[in-house]
Amino acid sequence: MTIGRAFPVFGIAFAVIYIASVYFNWALLTYHPQLVQWGPLVQAPKQGPAMYWYGWLLTATLGASAIAAVSLALPAKPFDRIWSILVWVVPLVMIAVIGYILRVYFLR
Amino acid sequence: MFSFLLITHGLCAVLLLGALTHQAISVLWPARQRTGSFVSSVRSVPSATYTNAIIIMFVVTAILGAIVYTEYRITVRVMLQDYRLHGPEGAFELKEHVLAIGLGLLPAYWYYWRPALAKEYATTRAIVTSMLAVIVWYSFLTGHVLNDIRGFGS
Repeated sequence: MTIGRAFPVFGIAFAVIYIASVYFNWALLTYHPQLVQWGPLVQAPKQGPAMYWYGWLLTATLGASAIAAVSLALPAKPFDRIWSILVWVVPLVMIAVIGYILRVYFLR
Repeated sequence: MFSFLLITHGLCAVLLLGALTHQAISVLWPARQRTGSFVSSVRSVPSATYTNAIIIMFVVTAILGAIVYTEYRITVRVMLQDYRLHGPEGAFELKEHVLAIGLGLLPAYWYYWRPALAKEYATTRAIVTSMLAVIVWYSFLTGHVLNDIRGFGS
């Protein structure tokens, strides 16, 4: 299955782009739950909090899809073997990074 | 409405937790021979047959969680901040991020569970499955504890 070869790359790219989106707030959407209102890109809170999580997911999905599609142009050997390692190493590192970013919650 | 969705979210999470835990045990600690004991039965489940069900349950649970999440931001998070419960608040922040990474891993998880790749990528399959199991366990326990802190229906 040719398209399936891109799935590990999707997982790797998704983790990196998602964490970058959280850190730099690259949300493609903002949701205002109090107003039940969606808005494009990053918007300041209007009434109540603004939620960027959905926007970060969208950014990561689109970015990772593009990178995964491009990765299909790479030869299966040796890249499939490389992806099979990076597919778990990179998400683990990204979880450690987000844990480090959120450390302030646990150190207060 | 949110209470109904929260309970449904919790029930879906329990199903997902059971299936993923079974699969992770069978892939990390496979039984060479089925002896008929409970432990042997758990270790020798036909784990590949769980894959599609796990993906569907993961996505359904995440969608329900994404809907309930709006209520959390309006009512629960504010309460946590008022009471300076920074630890639980941070634990939930971490939950939303590790779950997102778990969602992104699902296509790769499906890919490495294909029978054609069974032997070649056995290690990758075991690690990715274990990571998803840890993510779901962490998320389940965090959500459960936060629900206890806030109090159901309060």
